[in-house]
Amino acid sequence: MDVTAAQARIREVQRIMERTTLYTLLPGTAAIVGGFAALAGCFAGYLMIRSVDLADLLRTPMHTQIAFCVMWLLVGLFAVTQEIIFTTRAARRHGLKPMTRPARFVTLSLTPSVLVAVVLTVEFLLIAQPAQLRYIVPAWMMCYGTGVYAAGLFSYRLPRLLGLAFIVSGALGLLLLPQYGLVLAAFSFGLLHIVFGILVLARARQDGEQ
Amino acid sequence: MKKRIVPDSIDPVIHERARLAIVSALAVSPEMSFGELKDSLELSDGNLSAHARTLETAGYIKISKTFRGRRPLTTMRLTGKGRKAFKAYLDTLRQVIDHSRADDGDDEQND
Repeated sequence: MDVTAAQARIREVQRIMERTTLYTLLPGTAAIVGGFAALAGCFAGYLMIRSVDLADLLRTPMHTQIAFCVMWLLVGLFAVTQEIIFTTRAARRHGLKPMTRPARFVTLSLTPSVLVAVVLTVEFLLIAQPAQLRYIVPAWMMCYGTGVYAAGLFSYRLPRLLGLAFIVSGALGLLLLPQYGLVLAAFSFGLLHIVFGILVLARARQDGEQ
Repeated sequence: MKKRIVPDSIDPVIHERARLAIVSALAVSPEMSFGELKDSLELSDGNLSAHARTLETAGYIKISKTFRGRRPLTTMRLTGKGRKAFKAYLDTLRQVIDHSRADDGDDEQND
């Protein structure tokens, strides 16, 4: 064995160990809970502005606009918190440290795209024009999808497919249906997460039965 | 030209790529089902079965067959012997790399 082969073997071992860690930490329940939280957020948002078009937010009084933004902030915080809780529980169940190297990779992959989405959202809210407000949901879908796809490179195929689904539906939403912001959010952050979570749980159950 | 190093201590059971993958996965996850291993390592049923049997014969993994409800459940875990063999294999790889670095250093001094 030469040194190149030995180095390649060590890299391969490291890759498999990281991939296995992520595989065991992927929480299907968190995706389903997050999906339902997003659906609840969309429903609450609809009740606040009485429309699925985010541009109609401009027609509501200032206190409703603030309440709408705070509500989504809380939904986001809830989604992240429950994800951390479920991942930590999964890690403990498998005897792993919650913040392993691959878990850090996932966090680092998601962070830039989420930061871009936050900056775009702030800019769109400050411009406060109907067209820009309609960009918020598709921008979040595409940014989040990019982050999930990048994070999925350290895992197996399913998270990458979720990322791609977000990117494609975000792009289609931006080009064809920007006036249906809450519907797009319900479809992507709600429905896609729930389907993803069910697939992860179904796979885990199937794996357990083999 | 780099010297080719063939250590005497290299373990042929663990050296095979698929078996190394199985042992590496079980080294970080205390117990995995057949399906989990197959899915995460992207191995076929036949491939995984054959390599798992070889590892079990060598005493590196323990395969347990139980039932969950009416369905059979096959789980695998690394044994103490397997963990030692895995560590020894990694040490051998590091030795190969270290020897090569030392040889490179000697070559530079001779030049």
